[in-house]
Amino acid sequence: MSWVTIIWSMTAAACLTLAAIHFLVWCQRRTAWADLVFTLTSVGVALYAGCELSMMLAQTPEQFAAALRWLQVPTWMIVVSLAAFVRLYLRAGRRWLAWSVFALRSLALVLNFLVGQNLNYLQVTGLKQIRFLGETVSLGVGISNPWMLVGQSSLLLLVIFTLDAAIAVWRRGDRRQAVVTGGSIVFFALTGMTQAVLVLWRMVDMPLTESFFFLGIVVAMGYEMSRETLRAAQLSDDLLESQQRMRLAASAADLSLWDWDIVHDKIWLTEKGRERAGVSASERINFDRFFRAIHPDDRESTLRAVRHAVEISGGFEAEYRLMAGDGTTHWIAAHGQVERDARGKALRLRGVSVDVTERKKAEGELAQQRNELSHLSRVTTLSELSSSLAHELNQPLAIILTNAQAAQRLLAQSPPDVAETRDILADIVSEDERAGEVIRRLRALLKPGQAQRLPLSVNEAIEDVLRIARSDLIGRGVSVRANLSISVPPVLGDRIQLQQVLLNLILNASDAMAGNPPMERHLSLATACHDGRVQISISDNGCGLPAEPERIFQPFYTTKKDGLGLGLPICRSIITTHQGRLWAEANAVADGLTASAHSGQGTTLRLELPAAEGKP
Amino acid sequence: MTATNATVFLVDDEPGMLKALTRLLKAEGFTVQAFTSAKIFLESYHPETFSCLVLDVAMPGLNGLELQERLTRSGLLVPIVFLTGHGDIPMSVQAIKAGAVDFLTKPVRDSELLRAVRTALQRAAEQRELISEVARLRQRHASLTPRESEVMTQVVAGRLNKQIAADLGTGEHTVKVHRARVMEKMGVESVADLVRAAGRLEAGKKVMGYH
Repeated sequence: MSWVTIIWSMTAAACLTLAAIHFLVWCQRRTAWADLVFTLTSVGVALYAGCELSMMLAQTPEQFAAALRWLQVPTWMIVVSLAAFVRLYLRAGRRWLAWSVFALRSLALVLNFLVGQNLNYLQVTGLKQIRFLGETVSLGVGISNPWMLVGQSSLLLLVIFTLDAAIAVWRRGDRRQAVVTGGSIVFFALTGMTQAVLVLWRMVDMPLTESFFFLGIVVAMGYEMSRETLRAAQLSDDLLESQQRMRLAASAADLSLWDWDIVHDKIWLTEKGRERAGVSASERINFDRFFRAIHPDDRESTLRAVRHAVEISGGFEAEYRLMAGDGTTHWIAAHGQVERDARGKALRLRGVSVDVTERKKAEGELAQQRNELSHLSRVTTLSELSSSLAHELNQPLAIILTNAQAAQRLLAQSPPDVAETRDILADIVSEDERAGEVIRRLRALLKPGQAQRLPLSVNEAIEDVLRIARSDLIGRGVSVRANLSISVPPVLGDRIQLQQVLLNLILNASDAMAGNPPMERHLSLATACHDGRVQISISDNGCGLPAEPERIFQPFYTTKKDGLGLGLPICRSIITTHQGRLWAEANAVADGLTASAHSGQGTTLRLELPAAEGKP
Repeated sequence: MTATNATVFLVDDEPGMLKALTRLLKAEGFTVQAFTSAKIFLESYHPETFSCLVLDVAMPGLNGLELQERLTRSGLLVPIVFLTGHGDIPMSVQAIKAGAVDFLTKPVRDSELLRAVRTALQRAAEQRELISEVARLRQRHASLTPRESEVMTQVVAGRLNKQIAADLGTGEHTVKVHRARVMEKMGVESVADLVRAAGRLEAGKKVMGYH
């Protein structure tokens, strides 16, 4: 075994080892094209070394010529893959230059097999034995092939292309990459080319040692790539670390993290989330499985939120109950974001969820308390009205009795007046229904109940309340003027609570006018709609507001002898839970209600509610 | 008594109530006119009508008690039966004091209502009689000379001829002549009748106000 054989074989072996490593990397990650190209370069250099060795050990000119001819194949591989590497790894270089390198080298390869014995010699006429590294090696002697220039110019072009790319990379700021990768390619390609020119044009007597120069390039490239691998490892460590931290933070904040791979319908869910959905740690879940854990009443709204996020907005917000399967139910508030590919197709939906059961419970209790309070205030208000309400019930009863007595007399006549009696019976029926209506309305107001959210007409609510308060208002000598706009859209809310508020405001207004002379107590109600908000105004010409109008909405503020001062605060809280506003204004002197010497200019209470969407 | 020439006026803001009351009263043979407000009633009411009024207290606008006050102030003598949904004692006292015939609470028994209406119409008849008698007496009274009128006042006051003569500064015989003229002109036979006639005139003044 000679030194030459050992060194060249080792060069080839080293290159093949590097090639094998990066080929495996590419197999794992098919998108890592730089690794594949590097594999190609390394294999090329190994083959190149093999061909060089055969040339040095050639016994006949034919053997030498053949080895030199086959040398062009790895050369092509090396040149082309280097150009590709620069484009892929450095992400720089002019595309047309790269293609020119490819075209010239390919042309050289074609010429290699068509013209003369190989690209370098038209014919190898003999071999010259020289001493090299203490050994006798063969050098070719023959007629040089002028087409050799094509190959050499392709190398020169590669150098220019790389240099240009390296400058771009340097300017971009990646200076180390520019120097190590770009610089090494330029340097070793140039020196290698110089040696080849000198040897092949027979200016010096020495064998080709190109593979060393190429090895230099491969080592520089390998060094860079290994740094890259190192960095990836570091990143994955960091990622793991930050993931750990996130999990810790999530579990400390009682959050669960989730990620739904929409394309493959797979859901990844942290332990907390699995616990809440009643899914074991090892169970694989898809959307359907998760969906089944959602409370049936919340499924539709959740599904709507998911659709909206995926198809339109990209942002996901939902509140739903999760059933753990062991009978426990958790209220969950989820917040997520859709990730899309370049064409806008939704790939995944990921986000966080938090358990809001406690908050929901507190909200529920609050709503319960609010309901109870408003019911109490309703009953109090109605008890103030009790004598008027008794009258309201008494009226139809009186009419029924008088009608019945009239009928008795008509039937006692001879002949009995049957036609009139029939009319009387019809009136009795309708009066009885009217009494029933009064009772129904009262019962609705007296009944404690959960507030509902249904579309309702404010005009109808006002008319209903005026019917209840009618006797009271007549008794107090208050004249009512209702100016209800027919084009007012419905609002979303609880009819009973809204009527309660209106009743309260109407009774307050007539209280405020108690000091006016009997013929000067005017209550005026109006409805209107502006910008999707329905406004109800209730005006009186009574004693007016305190200096700070807002005080009337404070609890326990009252001007009445036996008032508690809770009516208006409760009204406001009801309207606020309806997403509305309630406020008081002093009437302008020149307002529709004319102020007289005896009465104040009065007050207008305004109530604003959002119109229900949809139906006009 | 069924007064076919008498009219019962009804005023109530509740149309159902008006209709029922009209039926009941018509079944009893009364002539009925119904109004849904005091204002409309005032516009169509003629004082000469022989009538009574069945009136609701609580009404928007002019209420029953206010209407009563207004009628009294105008000297319109229509007997009133009040009918109310929720009457209290002060309210009924006020109404009765102001001359109401009765103050009934709804729902009302038909017999009670009819009795009250009949009483009211009776009173209306009495008033009519009184008014015509007073008018007759007044006419006679107007025919007296001032001296005769003076003598009548003294006679009614129960003074003797001698006292009257002394007061007027004339002879007792002259007073006797005046006295006989007064009796003749006033169409009375005795001093007792003359005293009653003077009482009627006085009552007429009170009942009819400034009439």
